Amino acid sequence: MIKLNNRDFEWEEGLTVQELLNKKSYTYPKLIIKINNVLVSSEEYVSTIIRDGDDVKVIHLLAGG
Amino acid sequence: MKVLKRKPELCIACHACESACSNTWFKEDNIEKSCIKIKEEEKGNVIVSCTQCGECISVCQVEAITRDKNGIVRINKKACVGCFMCVGFCPELAMFMNDEYIEPFKCVSCGQCVKQCPTGAIYIEEV
Amino acid sequence: MNIEKLKSAHKLLSEYKYELGKLEKGYTNRTLYINVSDNTIKEKSVTQLMKDKFIGGKGFGLYYLWNAVTPETKWNDPENEIVIGSGPIGGITQYPGAGKSLVCSLSPLTGMPMDSNVGGYFGPLLKFSGFDALELQGKADKDVIIFIDGNKGTITIEEAPEEAADSHVLGEQLTEMYAENEEDKRNISVVSAGSAANHAYMGLLNFTFYDVRRKQIRLKQAGRGGIGTVFRDKHIKALVVRFAGVKGNLNNPDDQGKINRTGIKLHKEIHDYDAQQCKMRQVGTANIIEVMDQYDLLPTHNYKFGSHLDTFKISSKVFTGMITQNTPDGCWYGCSLSCAKAVDHFELKTGPYKGQKVIVDGPEYENAAGLGSNCGIFDPHAVLELNFYCDTYAIDTISYGTTTAFVMECYENGIINKEITGGLELHFGNADASLEMLHQMSRGEGFGRLVGLGIRNLKRIFAEQYGADPVFLNDIGMEQKGLEFSEYMPKESLAQQGGYGLTNKGPQHDEAWLIFMDMVNNQIPTFEDKAEALHYFPMFRTWFGLNGLCKLPWNDIVPAGNKHTDEPAKIPEHVQNYVDIFNGVTGNNIDKEQLIVQSERVYNFQRIFNIRMGFGKRIHDAIPYRAMGPVTVEEYLSRAERYDGQLKELVGFNPEGKTTEEKIAAMRAYREDQYQKLTDAVYKRRGWTMDGVPTIEHLKSIGMDLPEVLEVVKKHL
Repeated sequence: MIKLNNRDFEWEEGLTVQELLNKKSYTYPKLIIKINNVLVSSEEYVSTIIRDGDDVKVIHLLAGG
Repeated sequence: MKVLKRKPELCIACHACESACSNTWFKEDNIEKSCIKIKEEEKGNVIVSCTQCGECISVCQVEAITRDKNGIVRINKKACVGCFMCVGFCPELAMFMNDEYIEPFKCVSCGQCVKQCPTGAIYIEEV
Repeated sequence: MNIEKLKSAHKLLSEYKYELGKLEKGYTNRTLYINVSDNTIKEKSVTQLMKDKFIGGKGFGLYYLWNAVTPETKWNDPENEIVIGSGPIGGITQYPGAGKSLVCSLSPLTGMPMDSNVGGYFGPLLKFSGFDALELQGKADKDVIIFIDGNKGTITIEEAPEEAADSHVLGEQLTEMYAENEEDKRNISVVSAGSAANHAYMGLLNFTFYDVRRKQIRLKQAGRGGIGTVFRDKHIKALVVRFAGVKGNLNNPDDQGKINRTGIKLHKEIHDYDAQQCKMRQVGTANIIEVMDQYDLLPTHNYKFGSHLDTFKISSKVFTGMITQNTPDGCWYGCSLSCAKAVDHFELKTGPYKGQKVIVDGPEYENAAGLGSNCGIFDPHAVLELNFYCDTYAIDTISYGTTTAFVMECYENGIINKEITGGLELHFGNADASLEMLHQMSRGEGFGRLVGLGIRNLKRIFAEQYGADPVFLNDIGMEQKGLEFSEYMPKESLAQQGGYGLTNKGPQHDEAWLIFMDMVNNQIPTFEDKAEALHYFPMFRTWFGLNGLCKLPWNDIVPAGNKHTDEPAKIPEHVQNYVDIFNGVTGNNIDKEQLIVQSERVYNFQRIFNIRMGFGKRIHDAIPYRAMGPVTVEEYLSRAERYDGQLKELVGFNPEGKTTEEKIAAMRAYREDQYQKLTDAVYKRRGWTMDGVPTIEHLKSIGMDLPEVLEVVKKHL
């Protein structure tokens, strides 16, 4: 189990940031992603593996028209 | 068309080109008012100047920037509304603003700076 | 188009000459007052109090409106005013989004002060002509045009009987008529309504700018709240301003260099990042259509659902393919964000201009969602055609879309039928019926005329005349305070329910858009967190309207270092830009906290203005349940897993073995209670009583303790 935006989320072995985004359909382009408070840049989404118990924040920067 | 070309590896950062430019166009020796800029960076000197690529022409909402019959990109100061969008959008960062003026300025390949360059780091080429 | 003939039919009613004057640090220090009942034209001085307490733009508009009306004034009384003004920063050309006009009036839909912001050149050109704002009062006998020549220093009121009614023609005619030559057309801006504003309560105002590259006029809309209806009720056909000589320093700012550097910094950011972020330059606001759908936030079928299988048919990619412009363009000089989009040579299939090829100014996100998905219409051509006709007839696309969606749901539920609609088969997805209804609105005929009165009136009429259940209508009619909701699905975000409900003019997202912060990011979990956001963002966003600014360049482009900041949602670097350009123009020395206080003064003033008009209390901040949760079995079942889960986890109600009706009732009790708790927290944070009245103590602390304001408040404490 990991925390995703302070809510529980099912974890699985080898889960990458990109896979997490796919699972949640987080397609929005302006994202700020932090794992345990460390920023992950967009080039690293595919290669960054999330470990069990991680605190993941996927912050969508959108504040409407 | 005449274009100012650069060989930064020859540049010795004497800044004579900047003086020549500001003297020619603004009648004062002030590198803040030069259309060519020499940046001394760790990797080496960088020469910033207009390539006459014309990206700024389409950026300008009031059609104040056009290519003249010799191919040189020029600003019509009368039509310019001073938005400086062209400054932010120049791929070469070669469009300039100075607090004293409400229009931007740029290199028009006049070649005055070339005459002052002691090493041949800048030269005018017909392309 | 015989312009000479049109012009020769004009009859001069009044002419006024004035000294041109000079701008000083963003202000002309003068406003223009015109009464079309007796053709009075006069100048007023801007007082220091106005500048200190109200800043400009919407602040000036509300201040003048307050002084013009009484608690008894109705929208169609002659003393109601339309006030149009820019703001101290308005008209600078260096910082993107600095050409907005703010329009204020008592609204036919809400009966309260309405404010609407709009692009186009009118506000800045009015200012350069010598006036910080324009007040329009009275009611003319016959249609008039008001012409301000900002170079010659003349103002005329002219009877104008023969010009076209609809904006895309009228704007063209008047630009042609008042420009001295082709080159001069860029110096003209026209404000006009259209044929449907003669009949509907949701009439808008079109503001033009001349598109130099297309050599045609473009229309931008002050859409919300029916101000175009007030305009036509005053028998004003158009306002025309002419000012030649726009330059980058006409505001005579305190520190031009500071403004230039701040502007260039943002231009560079937009150049470097827009293509990866919002694609405003390529696509405009339509970029979020499919994003909203993916997050279940795109209103479909009158806000029943947040997504639809057919959304791909109206996605931004489809519209991008239809946008024919070759270069991005903005609605005021220097807007490098350039969200203004147009479809050229668009061939109309219906209505009085059928077969003609026109420019459609759009598509905006709101139009695709309101005219499209919310009505179950997923035909991009129909969306654009509705968009075009709404604009030229002067109908607010948001009110039209939301009202049509409501009427369609009523039709599908048998509340109204073909007999009542005069043959219009208003089921979801029927684009032809929607178009025909819009044409009826323009002609003032049939069911379309009725629909133009807006949801609040329709609910009453359907209940009174057709025996509809008023409780159900109140649940599904997406209006509050008389204004129709804009096009975002707020069901799963309590904070956004507050962002819609706890507002001054009604449910428009220009005060706060918190859906992602709340629902997806979970950044504001407690009532206090949400209340803080519902304090900060409405105050911050109010400030744009005081200064003649557009909101988009604040957060539809994000600087590289933003993610490293403490509060990325606020875009701290851009907040500082605004502080810098305000100080750069006015010579003041405010900081980001004082910026918020400037807004708080006007925000509270507007709240008290609402109270003065008999509204503005807690009861008026209630929202329909459709905005909060599933009203019907169909809605509940469509997201049953989500709702069942929430009942278990949040409500402590075991859904097993319960009927859907029981589950809906349990969910409703919970969500309505949440909204009340949120309301408590927000009122507390804003310094209001639990009935929503600003306290005297709070008004003193922010410096909005004017005697006339306190007098109103005292009666309600």
